[in-house]
Amino acid sequence: MTDTTERTFALPDLGEGLVEATVLEWLAAPGDRIGRNAPLVELETTKSAVEIPSPYAGTVVRLHAEEGEVVQVGSALVTFAVEGPAGEADDGAAGQAGIVGRVPQDGEAPRRRVRLRPPEE
Amino acid sequence: MTGTITEAAGAADASAPRVREMSMQQAVNAALRTVLREDPRTLVFGEDVGALGGVFRVTDGLQEEFGAERVFDTPLAESAIIGMAVGLAMNGWRPIPELQFDGFAYPAVDQIVNQLARMNYRSRGAVPMPVTLRLPSFGGIQAPEHHGESLEALFAHVPGLKVCAPCDPQDAYRLLLQSVRCDDPVVYMEPKARYWDRRPVELAHDPGDMPVGRSRVLRRGRHATLVAWGAMVHRCLQAAEYAAEDGVELEVVDLRWLKPIDAEGLAASAARTRRAVVVHEAPLTAGLGAEVSALVTERAFGALAAPVERVAGFDVPYPAGPLEPQYLPTIDRILSAVQRTLEYKRP
Amino acid sequence: MTMPSPTPARPEPHPDFGPDFARRCYLQMLTARRIDEEAIALQRQGVFPAYVSLRGQEAAQVAGAAALDTERDFAFPTYREMGVALAMGVDMVGYMASHRALWHGGLYDPAASRFAALNAVVGGPVPHAVGWAVGERLRGGSGCAVAYFGDGASSEGDVHEAMNFAAVYRAPVVFFCQNNRWALSVPNERQVAGGSVAARGQGYGMPGTAVDGNDAAAVHHAMARALERARAGEGPSLIEALTYRVEPHSTSDDTSRYRDAEEERAWRGRDPLTLLRARMEADGSGDAAFFERAEQEARERAEAVRDGVSTAPEPDGADLFTHVFREPTEELARQQRVWHEEVRP
Repeated sequence: MTDTTERTFALPDLGEGLVEATVLEWLAAPGDRIGRNAPLVELETTKSAVEIPSPYAGTVVRLHAEEGEVVQVGSALVTFAVEGPAGEADDGAAGQAGIVGRVPQDGEAPRRRVRLRPPEE
Repeated sequence: MTGTITEAAGAADASAPRVREMSMQQAVNAALRTVLREDPRTLVFGEDVGALGGVFRVTDGLQEEFGAERVFDTPLAESAIIGMAVGLAMNGWRPIPELQFDGFAYPAVDQIVNQLARMNYRSRGAVPMPVTLRLPSFGGIQAPEHHGESLEALFAHVPGLKVCAPCDPQDAYRLLLQSVRCDDPVVYMEPKARYWDRRPVELAHDPGDMPVGRSRVLRRGRHATLVAWGAMVHRCLQAAEYAAEDGVELEVVDLRWLKPIDAEGLAASAARTRRAVVVHEAPLTAGLGAEVSALVTERAFGALAAPVERVAGFDVPYPAGPLEPQYLPTIDRILSAVQRTLEYKRP
Repeated sequence: MTMPSPTPARPEPHPDFGPDFARRCYLQMLTARRIDEEAIALQRQGVFPAYVSLRGQEAAQVAGAAALDTERDFAFPTYREMGVALAMGVDMVGYMASHRALWHGGLYDPAASRFAALNAVVGGPVPHAVGWAVGERLRGGSGCAVAYFGDGASSEGDVHEAMNFAAVYRAPVVFFCQNNRWALSVPNERQVAGGSVAARGQGYGMPGTAVDGNDAAAVHHAMARALERARAGEGPSLIEALTYRVEPHSTSDDTSRYRDAEEERAWRGRDPLTLLRARMEADGSGDAAFFERAEQEARERAEAVRDGVSTAPEPDGADLFTHVFREPTEELARQQRVWHEEVRP
C-alpha cells in the first residue's frame, strides 16, 4: 500500500496585498481525485474572480470553507491526501503577495531572543 | 504611546468624519485629495498613476475626481518626469510627481540633484521648486530587484532637498500635507512594508504642532533610545516590547524628517536615557545612521554612558525574497546592540 | 479595439525558415507557453510571489531568438524574455528561480548562456548591448548583440542614447522592440509619440522595420536580415515586433481598470501558436502526429521546470556577502561575522 500524506493548502494572496477572498464555488468535492493544476476553487477577491489550480495531485480530504464564506489569507483552504511518505512540513501559509512582493507578516518573534540585563544604576 | 503629538483641529467641512481607520495607502490617497482640493496649482503625475490608480493604489480615484489634466500618466521615463516637474514649477505649479519605485529614482538622479535641488539657489530665490517627489521606498515585501532600495542618505546629502519618511497612516497623511505645502523640494519616502498597516487617522487639515524637521517620541523609556524611520520604527517598537520583558525600558524616537534632522530632539532623548541605537534598512556604510550617531555624540557627549550603536542593512545589494529577513535589521540585532550599550564600560 | 497601427512587413520566410526550423520554433513556442501556464499556476498556489507572463509574445521571442548564433551572439533581456531564454538554451530552472525570488537576476550563468541576467530596469540594458557590440568588433569577433526592450522602455532616454551611439559607431547591434501595446496600464497612444517605434530608426540613421510580431516567419525574417547586416559591418538595425500582452502586466495587475476585455479577446484570436500551426499544416511541415508529440514534449519539459524551480533550495544567507566584491574588504568580512553571530538561522 502506498503511503499518503495529508497536505493542507492555505489561501495565498493573489496579488495587491489582498487579505481575504470569498469562496464562490468549489470545483472539487471531498473524495474527488484531482490532478495537479486541475480547477479547484473559484474565489472572489476585491477585484475579480480567480480560479485556483490545484497545487497537488491527490484526493480531496476536506474543504475548510463553505461557498459564500470569507477566508483570510494564510488560513487553511483545502486538505489533500497526497501519495508519498510524510516528509517535508506542510506548505502552510505561503505568505501574502503585494502587487509586487508579499505583505509582511506582523509579530514575527525574534529567532534567538537575545536577553537583556538592565544597567546598574 | 503617542508621545508628544496633539492633532490640531482642522478647518475641514464639519460633516466629514474626522477620524477613520485606514491603511497607509489610503492615508496618502486622502492627503493627495486634500491638497488637490485645497490648491488648484497641485498636479499629480507619474507612471500608471491615472486609470490604474498607481501600482499600490495610492492614487486610486484621483484622476476620476480631479480630471486627466491634473492627475495624469506619463510615458516611462523617470528623468523626464522630474525634469518636467522642474519646468512646471518654474511656471507656477506645485507638482507632486511619483517615481514608481525607489530603484527607479536612480535614472532620475541627474534631474533631482543637478536641477531640482539647486534651482532656487541658482536663481537666488527667484525660481522656487515647491515639488513633492513621492517615492515608494525601502524593502520588506520580498519584491523584485530594484524595488527595495533605501535612498535616504543619498537624498539627505544633496543641498537643497528636504527628505521625510512616515511610519504610520496618520503621519503619512500629515507629512504629505506638510511636504506639498512646503516651498522647497521634498522627497517623501513611503515605506512599502507599512502600506497595509491600518490605524485610525484624523483627517486634520492642519499638521498641528509638528513643524518640518520635528521628530517624535513614540514610546518613553529610561535605559536607551532607539532611533528609526519608516518601517524600522515598527520593528523598534516590537524590540522595545521584548526589552520590557527583561526589565529594560527603551525609548523609541521616530525621526520622521531625515533632512532637516531633529538634532535637538535626538540629543534630548539620548541625554535622558544616556544610550542610543540607530536602526535603518539602508547599508551601514555612509548611511544616515552615521549622521544620527554624529549628531547625538556632538550634542550629548557628556551624558552618554556608551558609544552610539548602529544597526543597519549590510553593505550588500538588496537581496531577493528568502534572504531579505537576514539582510534587514532583526529584533535580535537591535537587542544585541542595546545590550552592548547597557554593558559598556569606559576603558 | 486596437490592432497594429503601422503597416507591418509580411516578407516571404527567410531561406533558413524551412520545415525543420518551423518545427523547432513551434516546439519551443509551445514549451514557452506551457512553462508560462505553470508559472501562473505557481503564483496562484503561493509558490511565486508574482509572475510576468509572455503569453501572446512567443513568436516575437522564440522565432526572433532562433536566428541568433548562440556560439557568438549575445542577448540583453528585460524581465519578460522567457521565450528568448528558452530558445537560447538557458537553464530554465535557473531562469525561473528569479520569479520565485530565489536570486535577483536568476540562477543561470549569463556569460555561458550568452543571455544577460534578466533586468527589471527597462531600457537599462540597451546601452550594454551597444558596448558589448563595440567591444566585439574591437576584439575582432563576429558576434552581434541583441537588445530587447518594449514599447514602454522606448520612452527611456537610455534607449535613445544607445541607438545614437550604435549608429555613430556602426556597432553590430539589433534593437528588438516587442511592442505589446501596453506598458503596464499605459497604451501605445499615450506612450509612443508618432505611433511607431520602428520609424525612429530613420532619425538614428538605421533601418527600422515593423513586423507582425505574432507571425513567427516574419519575425524570424526580420531578425535574420538584421543580423546579416550587422555581421557584414553595415551597422545597427531596429525591429519593432507588433504584438500584444494578452495577460495582465503581472499576476498582481488588474487590466479591467484600464482596458477593454474585448480587445484582449480579439488578440487571443491572433494567437501566434495557432497562426504558426496553420501555416505548418498548410505547407505540410507539421502533421497531426508532430503536433501531438510537440504537446507531449512541451508539457513534460514545463512540468520538469515547474518541479525543479518549486523544489530548488533557497540560497544560504552567507551568499549575501559572497559576490559583492571580487576582492573582499575587511569591513565586509566584519559585517559577515555580525551576520554569523547575530542573524544566521
